[in-house]
Amino acid sequence: MKKLLNSLAMIFVLATANVALAEIAVIVHPTLSVSSLTEDDVSRLFLGKAKSFPGGTQAVPINQNEGSAARDKFNESVCKKNASQYKAYWSQLVFTGKGTPPKDGGDDAAVKALIAANPNMIGYIDSSAVDASVKVVFKVP
Amino acid sequence: MKKISSNRKKNHLAWTIALVMAAPFACASDVNFSGFLSVGGGMLDDEDAVAYGGYDEEDLTFDRNLLGLQVSGQINEKVTATAQLIARSNNDYEVDAEWAYLSWQANDFVKVRAGRLRTPFYMYSDFLDVGYSYAWITPPQEVYYLPFNNVDGVDVYLTGTLGIFDTSLQAYFGSFTDDLVLSGAPADAETRNQIGLSGTLGKDWWTLRAAYHQADLTIDVTGIPISQTATLGSFVNTLRTFGFNSNADRVLVEEDDVTFAEVGINIDTGRFVAAAEHVEFDPGDAILSKNIREYVMVGVRAGDWLIHLTAAKAKDEATHPETGIPVGQPLPVVGSTNFLIGTLQAIANSQAIERDVLTLGTRWDVTTGTAIKFQIDDIDSPDSVLVDGTVVSGQQKVFSVAVQTVF
Repeated sequence: MKKLLNSLAMIFVLATANVALAEIAVIVHPTLSVSSLTEDDVSRLFLGKAKSFPGGTQAVPINQNEGSAARDKFNESVCKKNASQYKAYWSQLVFTGKGTPPKDGGDDAAVKALIAANPNMIGYIDSSAVDASVKVVFKVP
Repeated sequence: MKKISSNRKKNHLAWTIALVMAAPFACASDVNFSGFLSVGGGMLDDEDAVAYGGYDEEDLTFDRNLLGLQVSGQINEKVTATAQLIARSNNDYEVDAEWAYLSWQANDFVKVRAGRLRTPFYMYSDFLDVGYSYAWITPPQEVYYLPFNNVDGVDVYLTGTLGIFDTSLQAYFGSFTDDLVLSGAPADAETRNQIGLSGTLGKDWWTLRAAYHQADLTIDVTGIPISQTATLGSFVNTLRTFGFNSNADRVLVEEDDVTFAEVGINIDTGRFVAAAEHVEFDPGDAILSKNIREYVMVGVRAGDWLIHLTAAKAKDEATHPETGIPVGQPLPVVGSTNFLIGTLQAIANSQAIERDVLTLGTRWDVTTGTAIKFQIDDIDSPDSVLVDGTVVSGQQKVFSVAVQTVF
């Protein structure tokens, strides 16, 4: 029993540590001429305020699916909105034809695969999932 | 003035566009469906006092329901077709196409739309029906009182940056035809040569907005009763009989040049929210009053809750349709010109509303996409006297609740 409690405690510590430390990487296709973006650049792309990368290449932002830890963290720290505020923000644009929210691209692996295959897309994944198929342009600590 | 039913004729254009749009949907690869729902109701504190917000009972009624469905299809890279169909409980759930338009995204900064659009009168006009997107159950009706919310026409929507600021500019031209209920009588209404401009300037947590519109407004007011035997139409004939033609013209609302102006500010820091709007409607030569309306809202977020307080005010100025009629001249049948002057002043005064409303409300985000809202409105307006002499108190409280979602 004590062993079980210890394991549970360990799992808890690991899980919370993971959430607290998980760094999120904003990624683009390796061939994109942009080497880094500011938080403001990224936020403007994901809030529909900008439609192109600095330099003029058309940008297609890709979200992770609703409910993912990476999405919640990204929205809170970069877009400065919790899940409900983010939804309310986009519903003001969707129902007026003034904007279309970023498409949901799935989890870390799915988003990475999309970005690796499309030179216009920008997404975000857990830093641990980054490999040579994508380029990191901003990090959310 | 309250809209009660929809004129099927007025929907022909909208439906035609909706049907034209349905064709490409069949083969379009990128069709988006989204929707919103609001279910709500309310009750009065005192049903012997003035009615408010469409509520006239002390018993809770759930009759503020609406369902909206938006279909939008990408026809090609630059052209999108969008239709928004809304069914409202206070319109017997008859489906209305409140938006139906084709939009052409010329480049990153310029969008041109044609069809039935929402008129950008107010800060919240665009998403008026999407309660989920704002704090209140509905925006303060002292300011959000105009009976026309849509326009059939074209607009240009520009977005861009000005230094460090985000800006937008929307210009439109169009017209609208609708049927209203004025003082209990149906009245056909239309705008022609309606033109308007709205602009925003913002940065991160604040946005400033200003808008200006003008139109030739015609409302058939002749059927409005002014006493148990007379209508506004018969009174206009009386005025003409005595040669007061210019006064008669001022009673009628016929191609009158009217204007509507708005300024507003919206603030959302995440923790604190605030909004304020001031609007003025100038009726030109029409007998409608000059409407001067405003509200200020402040709120604070705590977790999934938002608590907000709003002060709204209507302080209309009555027009003077009696100007030019000499005082105290004897007249056959009605006695003297004083009768005409008194009647004209009474009609003009009845169009002017004075009211203060204090609203305390909460929004609780139950899950992402669903909010439950409670609201108490405290209404302070002058007492009124009915035809039979009964005094109706202008003090009232309204309690309302709504569940609002987007999907």
